[in-house]
Amino acid sequence: MTFKTGSRQRLFILLVSWMSFVADADNMQLDGNLLLTGMDAGSNDNFKSGRAITLHYNYYFNNWLAADAGLLLSGKTLEESSEDIVGDYRTNIQTQALLLGIKPRYRLESPYEFYGRLGLQYWCTELEVEEYFGPGIPEGSSSATDTGYGYYLGLGVAHYVTEKFIVLFELSHFKQLDVFEGDSAYPFDLAINAFSIGVGYRF
Amino acid sequence: MITTTTTASRVSAVSTAIVSVFLLNACDIDGGDNLPRVPEQGLFMLADANRHEGDDSAQVAAAVFNDGEPVNLVGGDLFEARTTTERVLLKQGGPVEGSYAASLPVDDSVQDVFLDVVHLPVEAREDRWYPIDLLNTDPGPGELVGKSASVSFPPAVTITAPFPDTVYTSISDVIDISWDPVSAGDLMRVLAAVECTDGLATSSYGVVVDNEVQLDMDLDDGSEVISLDKFIYDLNIGSTTIQFISDAALVLLQELLNQLSAGNIDPDFLLKKREANPIESTCEIRLFLQRQRPGQFDEIFDSGRVSGSSSAEVIVIYHPPVPFN
Repeated sequence: MTFKTGSRQRLFILLVSWMSFVADADNMQLDGNLLLTGMDAGSNDNFKSGRAITLHYNYYFNNWLAADAGLLLSGKTLEESSEDIVGDYRTNIQTQALLLGIKPRYRLESPYEFYGRLGLQYWCTELEVEEYFGPGIPEGSSSATDTGYGYYLGLGVAHYVTEKFIVLFELSHFKQLDVFEGDSAYPFDLAINAFSIGVGYRF
Repeated sequence: MITTTTTASRVSAVSTAIVSVFLLNACDIDGGDNLPRVPEQGLFMLADANRHEGDDSAQVAAAVFNDGEPVNLVGGDLFEARTTTERVLLKQGGPVEGSYAASLPVDDSVQDVFLDVVHLPVEAREDRWYPIDLLNTDPGPGELVGKSASVSFPPAVTITAPFPDTVYTSISDVIDISWDPVSAGDLMRVLAAVECTDGLATSSYGVVVDNEVQLDMDLDDGSEVISLDKFIYDLNIGSTTIQFISDAALVLLQELLNQLSAGNIDPDFLLKKREANPIESTCEIRLFLQRQRPGQFDEIFDSGRVSGSSSAEVIVIYHPPVPFN
């Protein structure tokens, strides 16, 4: 009981301190972005365009540099169907990533701001393959998931609708390195290029 | 009223042209000679490994037909061709629908090529981009896996006549083909790849002259006389009226296109779209003389045509006679 009371007190103090810090700081930003993505596994893959969302939290150390933490969630991105000597096949890929990096910015006199993002990502990617062989032969699908590290880059422009509310346009590049390295003799690097539009809130 | 008449004449011209195009197509060169004579019943094996003069690889092609229809090897089944030192998988499309082909490195020491149907689910997918060893739906080996054939290369072919770029000017001419006869028992045949141009249009096709086309063609006796009309056709033979209508329709249609495009269309647009008539065109005839040696195939097949072959080529030219005015 004593322990519980002590924990609650500490948590409360921490929360209040953080809130007062937040209320005074006005140096943080949350933004959410909708991405139109193009995936490239570096070979003869032929992915259709896909969609993803990112959520970013920024903590500004000063007027031009912030820490950038984020989350990337992609939808299932389909590849065009292909045919070879084995049969017809189609892959799809889905990925999530935790992002951690820096975000330099340059605020203009006008209500515009240019910014960049640069950081590392920890990703979790699932690849699925559907195969069809023709009449009388059982078709099937198989999937595998891998995790690993990579990096991300971004360049964007923000428009301050008000001092708190921002609209963002961004070009991003996410690179996942050595996907299925160790599990397969055929690993690949996955590049995700994206254009995004989003909204942000400064507090 | 004038508009109605003009529209009616245009419709008439277009209709005539369309009918003529169909008739022209009906007179097209029959490419049937390039296709294997596959029996309509039973399991049939077709395979050939050909080594062309000077090449350091043999072209290997194989197919299986069931009741006349090609059997697709899928799910990781495929033909493997091997010598004592080299091995390739036949993954490319072959010259015949449903056939598979590959280049197999060979040298002068190679005598035999072995063909097997194998089940290699990973190697068969090697052209795919994703981790094929991890993501692989393997339906297991098909019924043909384990079946095999083997062929031997006959001695190389050396053509002694005609000389390269010999010119012929009439389809009544004959081509005297001579070669060094080496062995008894091997079968000879001539294949030709013909490319023709009349200055505007082009046409290209293949011809096979074997024992079914010309009696005793298959004898390895060192010479064969083949009439040029085996290689050069007249698309309009026996259809003078149709040709007249077709020419008239082309002129009308071209005139219509000129009017519709206000003179911006190529005046020879339709002439370039049709096929050149070989007899009225300059044609390059690549003659391939092939020596074939029948091979062996598995007893499971009801019939088959399996052979190893060596070939050499010579190019001759056909120039159409200049018409007198």
